[in-house]
Amino acid sequence: MPTSTDIAVVGWAPTPMVRHTELSETQLLVRVITDALQPLGLTRSDVDFTCLGSCDYITGQAFSFVGNLDAIGAWPPKRDSHVEMDGAWALYEAWLRLQEGDIDIAVVTGSGRSSTGNPALIYPMEMDPFYLAPIGADPVTLAALQARAVIAAGIADERSMAEVAVRSRGKGTVDELLSGDYVREPLRRHDLPPITDGAAAMVLARGDRARQLVERPAYITGFDHRTECHNPSFRALDDSPSTRIAAEAAGLGDKPVEVAELQAAFTHEELLLRSVLGLGDDVTVNASGGALKANPIMATGLSRIGYAAEHIFGGGTRALAHSTSGPCLQQNLICILEGRS
Amino acid sequence: MVRFEESSITFPYKRSLGPVIGAFMTALTEKRILGIRNGDGVLVPPMEWDPATGAELPRELVEVGPAGTIQSWTWVTEPTEQHPLDRPFAFAFIRLDGASTPLLHAVDAGSPGALADGMRVAPRWKGQRIGHITDIACFVPGEASEIEGEDLGPAAEPVEMMDYLASITYRNPVPVTSDLVVDASRQHRLVGFRCPECGKTYAGGRGVCPIDALELNEKHLVDLPPNGTITNFVIVTPVQYPGQTETEPFARVFVLLDDTDVVLSYQPVVELPVVDVAVGVRVSAVWASAVEETEGNLYGSLIGWIPNGEPDVDEPDLVNRIF
Repeated sequence: MPTSTDIAVVGWAPTPMVRHTELSETQLLVRVITDALQPLGLTRSDVDFTCLGSCDYITGQAFSFVGNLDAIGAWPPKRDSHVEMDGAWALYEAWLRLQEGDIDIAVVTGSGRSSTGNPALIYPMEMDPFYLAPIGADPVTLAALQARAVIAAGIADERSMAEVAVRSRGKGTVDELLSGDYVREPLRRHDLPPITDGAAAMVLARGDRARQLVERPAYITGFDHRTECHNPSFRALDDSPSTRIAAEAAGLGDKPVEVAELQAAFTHEELLLRSVLGLGDDVTVNASGGALKANPIMATGLSRIGYAAEHIFGGGTRALAHSTSGPCLQQNLICILEGRS
Repeated sequence: MVRFEESSITFPYKRSLGPVIGAFMTALTEKRILGIRNGDGVLVPPMEWDPATGAELPRELVEVGPAGTIQSWTWVTEPTEQHPLDRPFAFAFIRLDGASTPLLHAVDAGSPGALADGMRVAPRWKGQRIGHITDIACFVPGEASEIEGEDLGPAAEPVEMMDYLASITYRNPVPVTSDLVVDASRQHRLVGFRCPECGKTYAGGRGVCPIDALELNEKHLVDLPPNGTITNFVIVTPVQYPGQTETEPFARVFVLLDDTDVVLSYQPVVELPVVDVAVGVRVSAVWASAVEETEGNLYGSLIGWIPNGEPDVDEPDLVNRIF
């Protein structure tokens, strides 16, 4: 079945992205959903479907998404869903739901308070439970091993990684950064993402409703996600075949994109993704600063799609957004957004 | 100023290992490392399925190593409590002799300068092995395996299960409404919060009206009556999971407060035997004395609900009220 290309992002909002917020996850969502709807002249009662992306492991509470439903105004009862994934996958589900053609407006969110726990201790528990979690295989270690593979393949070096960090955060110089100590060789502090609390909400609309709401909707013309084996032992870490396949399926090669927002939490990931996606120097990558500037787990990927949509709202023609999940870019999602004149 | 509360959650997992990982873990107790044949290659650590295709692999387990070659490594300067070693070490992809894929494990090498790709390493076994990946304490430079302490020998039976204790500490903001409910309970007052939009009242310090998605605070506080009627109940036969303190069947009741639309859910009862719990029983709040105060209760000093002697309410629709 061909998918509809008449579904568009019409608005989005991020919360302030901070190291530590005093707001609960529900409070973050109450505010950010309002922030996404209000400029469109919409209220919660106009929303036909919601899908929330969050993670109980980060929140420290079983079924934490049930509490988050307080933020959507679920009375009278609403069509609602949840993914234990980044909000980018919640968007994917909402996009599928809108294809059914019976409803017009969906809201998706991604939310996470990383500061609730200690990410360095939580993430190893999400690894392979037999071989990796019991030895505390942490994401920075696995990222360092991938960085070595990417460097060995000639796709990156420590200098080009530092350049990514400088461009993303807009501070420091490459030489300053390269004088720092390794956290996990070959990764230094600047190659790692910050710990960030935050959430994002996005509004999707279909058909005429999208055109009524905004002058220039960001139409989703391609959307795909693929996964690889969970254990990095069995993967070629200097490649990302799942990204490549998802990009092909989403039609990246059909026409050039002007901007790309990549969920690269580590500097070498951006260089690997650029290489796999074949993005040339004419493509503006992560003008937002990307995950290296703000990494609100579960909302980082949805934010990439938000910034790509902003490019379209502002008159752009075609943008790519990428999200990822799992160690060493295990699972990858590609979303292509287009404007129409 | 928002108050934060720290809490730890512990998940004591027992995992069944299955035929392939179980054989691998059993072999570890014998100081042997197994891989599984996958076409021309040998997967280490062994999997039941081909990672590329998902096809089930024939169960041809083959012994590899125990020595191997470092393919890649990174130095851990500050180990966490989850890591195999409590001093700086390397995590490395180690391709054991005879294997075609690398095993991730720790290498005890003293300093990063002592490591190189292509370096040979061998396991340092624990003396007491239980069938767990950490039966290999770590790898050490060289060709010769080592044993940590006295060798207590292999497992008597095939290893079929493994324990994994996940323990996480969280620090959460406490909604101001929760603290207000607990503070009021210290004066034996039951309070709730009324939404200015829909007029519904919420007990239990819920910080948001779920209908209007509106944040609630002290401006919305209202007193609630300490008397009500049981609308529904459940008798719980306790399962002795870790942390369960109850040993006998106990009741949890739902209480509709008088002259309100507020139901307190899943409430304990006081001086109401399990056999006497029924829909329509009239109850009143029981409060803890100052010396009995307990932390962490949603309703603070509210211990539970006691029959107040008033006649039962005979109302068939009551049973529907659990929210």
